[in-house]
Amino acid sequence: MFGAALIKIAFAASIISTFLYFVVHRNPSDTVRKFARWFYEIAVAGIVIASAMLLYFILTHQFQYYYVWNYSSTDLPLSLLISTFYAGQEGSFMLWALYTGIIGLILLRYTSKRGYEAEFMAVFSAIFSFLILMLVVKNPFKPIWEQFSTELLHVGAMPAGTTNYIWVDQARGLWAQIPAEGKGLNALLQNYWMVIHPQILFIGFTSMSIPFAYAVAGMLKRDYVSWIRVATPWTAFGSLMLGTGIILGGYWAYETLGWGGYWGWDPVENSSLVPWLVCVASIHTMLAQRKNGTYIKTNLVLSMFCFLLVLYSTFLTRSGVLGETSVHSFVDPGMWVYWLLLMVIGLFSALGFGLLFRRWKEMPIVPVQHSLVSREFALFLGASALVFASIFILIGTSSPIITNIMKGKISAVDPSFYVTTTLPLGIAIALLAGFGQLLWWQNSSTSDLLKQLRIPAALAALFTVMTFLMGATHIAMIIFIYASAFALFTNLIVGWRIVQGNPKMAGGALAHVGIAMMFLGFVASAKYDDVKTLNLEQGKEVQALGYTMKYVGYQPLERGRFGFNVEVTKDGQKFVVTPVMFKESEEGSLIRNPDIVNMITKDFYVSPLSLEVPEEGGHEHEVTLFKGKKEQYEGMELTYLDYTFSQTKEQGNFLVMQIEVNINGKKEIVRPTMSNKGGQPTFTEAAVPNSPISLLIKGMNPSQDDGEAKVTLEVKGITHGEGTIAPKAETLVVEASVKPYINLVWIGTVLLIGGFFITIVRRIKEVSKE
Amino acid sequence: MNLKVIVAGIIIVGALVFGATTFMESNIEYMDFEAAQNVNKKVQVKGKWVKEKESAFDASKSQFTFYMVDDNAVEMKVVLDGAKPNNFDIATEVVAKGRYKEGYFHANELLTKCPSKYEGDGEAVKKTL
Repeated sequence: MFGAALIKIAFAASIISTFLYFVVHRNPSDTVRKFARWFYEIAVAGIVIASAMLLYFILTHQFQYYYVWNYSSTDLPLSLLISTFYAGQEGSFMLWALYTGIIGLILLRYTSKRGYEAEFMAVFSAIFSFLILMLVVKNPFKPIWEQFSTELLHVGAMPAGTTNYIWVDQARGLWAQIPAEGKGLNALLQNYWMVIHPQILFIGFTSMSIPFAYAVAGMLKRDYVSWIRVATPWTAFGSLMLGTGIILGGYWAYETLGWGGYWGWDPVENSSLVPWLVCVASIHTMLAQRKNGTYIKTNLVLSMFCFLLVLYSTFLTRSGVLGETSVHSFVDPGMWVYWLLLMVIGLFSALGFGLLFRRWKEMPIVPVQHSLVSREFALFLGASALVFASIFILIGTSSPIITNIMKGKISAVDPSFYVTTTLPLGIAIALLAGFGQLLWWQNSSTSDLLKQLRIPAALAALFTVMTFLMGATHIAMIIFIYASAFALFTNLIVGWRIVQGNPKMAGGALAHVGIAMMFLGFVASAKYDDVKTLNLEQGKEVQALGYTMKYVGYQPLERGRFGFNVEVTKDGQKFVVTPVMFKESEEGSLIRNPDIVNMITKDFYVSPLSLEVPEEGGHEHEVTLFKGKKEQYEGMELTYLDYTFSQTKEQGNFLVMQIEVNINGKKEIVRPTMSNKGGQPTFTEAAVPNSPISLLIKGMNPSQDDGEAKVTLEVKGITHGEGTIAPKAETLVVEASVKPYINLVWIGTVLLIGGFFITIVRRIKEVSKE
Repeated sequence: MNLKVIVAGIIIVGALVFGATTFMESNIEYMDFEAAQNVNKKVQVKGKWVKEKESAFDASKSQFTFYMVDDNAVEMKVVLDGAKPNNFDIATEVVAKGRYKEGYFHANELLTKCPSKYEGDGEAVKKTL
């Protein structure tokens, strides 16, 4: 088919382009370079057209394509329909390849102006080839009858009235049925975040390959110094995009998944965080190298790891290796993907590190000249803390693999592992983010540092005392709060001074203000949140967590969803939240979306758990008793003792059960009966003396002859007091929580992203001037 | 210079030891129900939901109770803190994380493994014809 052919052509073109660029690297030639460019552009054109085709097939509901059938359906709104493009394995690789190809066109021009085209594009085009290779293996244009040949493929005469079909091979009479409807998009993904989050994340993944390509290109050119200047804006761009993608995913989880948090230390989340941390670390060591030439090898290694870790995370999350240890884990996509990803990791690692060892001796050795009290050393320590954090998270995430090798049994770490290991590093990072801004390059005088420290240290102390009085009393949290507040105030003061001088240089200070605010937001919203499960009986006010809540009823929303309206009152202010619950499909699972009251200092988060409805005509109470076995039921103790059986002319078959009931400390024998005359059984209930309760036989297997002796009874007359399960009125069960100062996390994120943006602008201008 | 190397070495070794011990401590081992009864720590048990037996959400305690059978066909009552997970009904396999209490397994977390997201089955395609 045409789509699959296009992908193969693109693959061939990108491989040729890689090869030609490598030839140009060996023997510079403008003609060959021109061809190399052409082939790269052909490859990009192939992927662009293939993507457009896939999108067109999705929009026009062409369910003869397995991918289109598997992820989309005709009832999806346009935005979600478009997002089914990357809802599955094949399409998400397609999106990744598409962005890589297009960003490559920009990089082609950028690098050619700076004398880096041949080397950079040789590596970048190789990365592009790998992504296209994934599409060759996992073809998004696979016809549906190849997947379901037994169900769909037919030979010979077509039954009259067949409408949805396609001739596979008319000469041989081979035809295939085509589904009229698709399987549809997973309900958890049917959300507007699905439109934006994966896009940004994949641009982030793409940009992680840029530092790698620059580092390898630098080594190919034997340029260990100036590649950094060319690469820096792109490394910052990668941190910006991947960071934005990660935090959008967190916000998505917080806002729609309803478990109350934005970060769950899930392998999928971790595996994008790890390359991000390494990339951010490399920004710091690159800064140090720009100033005085040290950390040459460190920068090469870190830049290469940005991409290798993206590959590794792709391997972790796409190969099925995590087994059932992850919520996100995909079912085994086949051995092809597994081995291909392993091979590619091996290949790119061998390329990068092979070159590093070959060039190792010829790299200039710049002795570390700065003192321990200098900005370089703070940068180095900060980068080390980031790298350590990424190593710990990587080890935790790889736990299924590690335990499989060590013990032959797969097991994951508890999320507490990540908190325990990253908390001390977070404290170190916060302190260094403060100190680093106060230090000078090369050498700072200790007395000068102490003088500058006074104000932010004092403000941070004041801040910590305030939070202590507000309830933050755990010792580790006190230290973390102090360190973060110190980073916050230092960067605010330093940032303010920079803004007055040259605002274009304020990126670093702004990003660090953002990080400090995020840290404080993490502590407040995740450690000091307040959670309670509540039963909201319709129309009844319930007091909890300082709020008054009243469930007023539900109404149907679009696409089979139901909104449950809860009035929330606090200090005279009234809000209405509408958490949502719905069945994904008839037999499918229940999907729950929370709703949030956003306030300046906190979020009030209401997550629905279930709706308990009293059954019509009073709740049916049934209990099954096994012979001779005591059973607790609604405060009683019931035992099936025995039965008597008789046959008379008047009554037919007559059976009397003997049930011992222990109620309010008194034992009574109760005898419900069953009579059977002419095939029609009649059941008669028996009252429990001195109580409103009576027992009626619902079903039985009275003797041991055919299986275990048992009887099922309906217990009538139970009135509901406290502590019983069934509700009198419709009751909405919710988990309500207060998340203090969660806005700090979001504001901090925006500032961090803004900081990256200012840095990119500054570094691009700088590199354009040269 | 030597001092720097020693300090750096100590920090790195310390960090690695710290990471390794935390890793060992927080690793939740896979076990079956029989083994889980004999250890007093958090473990995870893989198995299937026994759909025939009763399952209920107790709103007053916010606990979901159901029966689960592990890979060795040992059945156990499981009490989960929280509501019934999203994909529970369609899950082909469930993993309960928690510890054994008197007569039941008290789970804090439940992972569900869903029928393949990537490989559609033949029954599904018939429905959409």
